[in-house]
Amino acid sequence: MSQTAERDNPDLEALFDSVVEARQSSAAAAPAVAAAVATLVPPAMTLAVGREASGVESTHDGHSELIQRIGHLTRSLHDSLRELGYDKKIEQAAAAIPDTRDRLAYVANLTGDAADKVLTLTERTLPLQEAIGAEARTLSRQWQALFDKRLSVEDFRELVGQTRDYLEAVPRQTAEAHRNLRDIMLAQDFHDLTGQVIRKITEMAQRVETELVGLLVESVSPATRAEYAAPSGLINGPVINAEGRSDVVANQAQVDDLLASLGF
Amino acid sequence: MVDPNIRFLVVDDFSTMRRIVRNLLKELGFSNVDEAEDGVVALQKLRAGSFDFVVADWNMPNMDGLTMLQTIRADANLKHLPVLMVTAEAKKENIIAAAQAGANGYVVKPFTAAVLDEKLGKVFAKMASA
Repeated sequence: MSQTAERDNPDLEALFDSVVEARQSSAAAAPAVAAAVATLVPPAMTLAVGREASGVESTHDGHSELIQRIGHLTRSLHDSLRELGYDKKIEQAAAAIPDTRDRLAYVANLTGDAADKVLTLTERTLPLQEAIGAEARTLSRQWQALFDKRLSVEDFRELVGQTRDYLEAVPRQTAEAHRNLRDIMLAQDFHDLTGQVIRKITEMAQRVETELVGLLVESVSPATRAEYAAPSGLINGPVINAEGRSDVVANQAQVDDLLASLGF
Repeated sequence: MVDPNIRFLVVDDFSTMRRIVRNLLKELGFSNVDEAEDGVVALQKLRAGSFDFVVADWNMPNMDGLTMLQTIRADANLKHLPVLMVTAEAKKENIIAAAQAGANGYVVKPFTAAVLDEKLGKVFAKMASA
């Protein structure tokens, strides 16, 4: 264990130590975390269509009324989208796509690196094992010759020297094989890391699906809406358990069916 | 010198990671290791048996590592236990929260055997000097 802690970030280390000290010296340590979190919240999407439309002035009376009505309609559509929370939801869904792309790239990199590491270490370890076995076989043959009294005194001296060298070399080789095996084991940590990321992506996909289906249902005729809309409102988040419920979709086939029934 | 018989509890929802940590601990000479898959199971085991050291993940179902750590620190029988966080959560907010909750160390995944060794050594050194 003489390796240096190459992955350890000294900044994080220092941060951790400073907080621990602060915690120990005074119980009232106040972090400035809230400010950082606040900056992460995306600004509300601004659909200024209604405002623009209603702001148009017309010299023609008939057109003026028409434009005003279109303006009101646009405004009410915009308002209902906002009331339903869809402007933000859609924005969040759209923003989640690049994030998902990054996450998937991370998964691909991590699994690729792990496979590469394991193959390299295996390729490095196999010759070690082979050398240990081959040398042992050679020595064993010569010792057999000795027992068969086919070895000269000179040959015997040489055999003793070779045997001693071998016994000294084996622990070094097995130690290297041990390190390689340990690193192969450690390379399996990709399972944990990618598993966490994939879980997040799955949640995100489910959320996008729910929001888009919800938006679709909202945008069709009231009759169709009544048929599909959940009675408890439209902003319910992901469906945790779809079993026994007729008002939610449980799989992609059901989503496809719903979309097809709506003419998409 | 640290007693090689001290009893570890490794808490992580991924069995792969529990096996990795268990194997690394074994390599460092600690073979008295038990496992738990989340904070709830871990607390049950901690309260039932005599453990000396906890290595815990953060993101777990049922009860996460931070809540478990806070519960340990609030429990008169457990609050002395050293807790080393080993987690993929790498935000500064996480590290600050863990430190404030009373974590004895924080290792970010992915980590090397050398890093785990060093952090364990640091916790033992502090325990010895305390």
